[in-house]
Amino acid sequence: MRTYLARLAQICLTLCAAALITAGAASAQSGPLRIEIDQGVIEPLPYAVPDFIPDDAAASEYASLIARVVATDLSGTGLFREVPASAHISKITGFDDPVKFADWKAVNAQALIAGAVSVNGRQLTVRFRAYDVFAEKELGGGLQFSGTTDGWRRMAHKVADAVYSRITGEGGYFDSRVVFVSETGPKNDRRKRLAIMDYDGANVQYLTNSDAIVLAPRFSPTGDRVLYTSYETGFPQIHVLDVGRVQRRILSTDDGIMSFAPRFSPDGRTVVYSQSQGGNTDLFTMDIASGQRTRLTTAPSIETAPSYSPDGSQIVFESDRSGAPQLYVMPATGGAAKRISFGSGRYGTPVWSPRGDLIAFTKQNKGRFHIGVMRTDGSEERLLTASFLDEGPTWSPNGRVIMFTRETQGASGRALLYSVDISGRNLKPVRTPDGASDPAWSPLQN
Amino acid sequence: MQTGTKISIAGHGLLLGWAALGGWFQSEPQPFAVQEVSLISAEEFARLSQQRQAPVVAPDATVLAPPEESAAPEVSVPPAPRPEPDVAPERPEPLPEPTPEPIVEDVPEVEPDPIVRDTPPEVEAPETAVVLPPQPEAPQLTPVDRVAPVPVAPPEPDVAVDDVVQPEVAPEDGADDTQEVQEATAPEAANDRIVTEENRAEEQVVAAPTRSVRPKSRPQRAVAEAPEETAPQSDTAVERSAVEDALAAALAGGADVEAPEPTGPPLTSGEKDALRVAVSQCWNVGSLSSDALRTTVVVGVSLAQDGKPDVGSIRMLSSTGGSAAAAKQAYEAARRAIIRCGSRGFQLPPDKYAHWRDIEMTFNPERMRIK
Repeated sequence: MRTYLARLAQICLTLCAAALITAGAASAQSGPLRIEIDQGVIEPLPYAVPDFIPDDAAASEYASLIARVVATDLSGTGLFREVPASAHISKITGFDDPVKFADWKAVNAQALIAGAVSVNGRQLTVRFRAYDVFAEKELGGGLQFSGTTDGWRRMAHKVADAVYSRITGEGGYFDSRVVFVSETGPKNDRRKRLAIMDYDGANVQYLTNSDAIVLAPRFSPTGDRVLYTSYETGFPQIHVLDVGRVQRRILSTDDGIMSFAPRFSPDGRTVVYSQSQGGNTDLFTMDIASGQRTRLTTAPSIETAPSYSPDGSQIVFESDRSGAPQLYVMPATGGAAKRISFGSGRYGTPVWSPRGDLIAFTKQNKGRFHIGVMRTDGSEERLLTASFLDEGPTWSPNGRVIMFTRETQGASGRALLYSVDISGRNLKPVRTPDGASDPAWSPLQN
Repeated sequence: MQTGTKISIAGHGLLLGWAALGGWFQSEPQPFAVQEVSLISAEEFARLSQQRQAPVVAPDATVLAPPEESAAPEVSVPPAPRPEPDVAPERPEPLPEPTPEPIVEDVPEVEPDPIVRDTPPEVEAPETAVVLPPQPEAPQLTPVDRVAPVPVAPPEPDVAVDDVVQPEVAPEDGADDTQEVQEATAPEAANDRIVTEENRAEEQVVAAPTRSVRPKSRPQRAVAEAPEETAPQSDTAVERSAVEDALAAALAGGADVEAPEPTGPPLTSGEKDALRVAVSQCWNVGSLSSDALRTTVVVGVSLAQDGKPDVGSIRMLSSTGGSAAAAKQAYEAARRAIIRCGSRGFQLPPDKYAHWRDIEMTFNPERMRIK
């Protein structure tokens, strides 16, 4: 009996202790409720951009045009979706008037852009404010741009860049240009010339005539010069063109030696390119000021399509030293190269992202071409497109979008420019007056 | 003393009483399983056994599976469809046919199967074969702008797009005028991952998974030293040790606990999940930068009793993984999610308001980066 009572007491003590623990746990939950959210949605963010307010009669012409370009820029990214004007409840009647956030919430506009335009002679002034509707506060401060009336599109692009940057937290790419090869005529007699345009296809200007075949134009880091390959002398040679003055010259190379696939270093002082001699193609660099050349590779295989990393310390290039074209990375001064592509198929035209985190490339596999991206060590390869012929990717200044050439099949097939977000979304053609290939995106303009 | 503590102690008291006194009562013995049998004589048994012999054996009966094997009960999955037999066998008695196809009685013997097949007839599956369930049709990915945790079919044309699903309520004839008219709403169409041109083509071509996930290896067990042989402890010693441990844990846990404020049971996991889903439907990371997509933010918010967030109370408590600018963008997206989806009030149990009045939400975009 005594043993039984002792056992009973121990059980009682145990249960009392358990009760205390339970009470403690219950009271421990008295703090804030904690939940973790690791699943969300990916969808365009709805925004509204009513026509800008004209401060004077002369500004009326531009008030709506600028608002439309801003909306086209933002919606064209695929990250934003405009709430149409027909759905607006409120009207912006004064640039400094308080915003009726409830009216914009009601139409689910999560961001609002309000602007005003004034014209004084040929001087155009655009100012704007962006609002976070649901937070009922302004996103950053108001901004104002001034320029000539001829540059109204650029000012609209700058407004869009500022809004994009404030919402996404990364730089925009709307106030940028693209140099490309304009193509006309049938496939067997195609005429090519260099052209430059705004990123959205507006303001096309031609930089060369179509007397000679031109290939692979590349912008300098400041956007004032373009390198390209021309067959003007009968074999490929590298030219450099001053975009502002439309003046060009041949970079000094040995006569009779084919040079091609040039690209500027990030500091703009050096050009890396391919040189073919005696059936072997290797990579070289050239100091633009002195013309001094340095050989980077000595392999008996074909090394081409070099591209610098943003910090200028490394070069990614294409080589068939393993038997099929693959991607390799080596120091910018030459040396041991490390292969980074290991998937099935053939890889080519690698381009380092301006952010430095990704490399875009062309891949040919099972009869189809793809534009893809991978980490700089070759991991996390993702193919973004698939078609009969996609090639030649170029990065937007913020590293978010890739533009490339897509050529359609058949005798009547033509080359066009396309762009795609690095997530693989928002694949769309870029408007050009004729066929177009070999795009190269400029940095943001000043 | 808290109500919860009282209930807990009372419950434990009952348990204690059962433990102390339960043994005094004899439980009823378990009932025996009884099966009725009938006795038969040796002659009857011999007669029955003789009748099971097949009186006539068809010339090609040997190709048929033995009835005993076909009646083996190990098949727990639907049997594989077999080709129609070329010969209708004569059977002594209608045993259960394992193949689902009915046998046509008047089919002439040795008549070839008239059905023209594109593929050669399947060989009868071995007994050990596992019949795979029918391959579900691969969902066709269509390019829509929205990516959500769960794919959403496009709403009907006359249904308004909204984050909340609600049926249409139209006033009935003769109904009370106070009946509120409600427009039918449904979420926008969505895929569960980003549809690129490349993976859309793959989805259309590939009907079955090309590889299976390799089973995880057994986790490495830490190499522990062989326990020393010790003398077995007495029951009393073990129980005393357990009591002391429990008391120590209770005292240690209670030392850093502040005075409890909420009463009653906390939110169930289902209620928490509902809140999590409600917020995630409005957490749009599509416009975030790469840096912001690497940033986890913890956001604090206070809710009113109707479940609506107090906008002024929303604040960022901490962030990890990104720059200050990225944390700001990530926080803005989180705040928009709370305000948007909380504008009608989160569906939370009113009687547990004290438990969900203050919430800390951790927004972790790691899984969204790989969409």
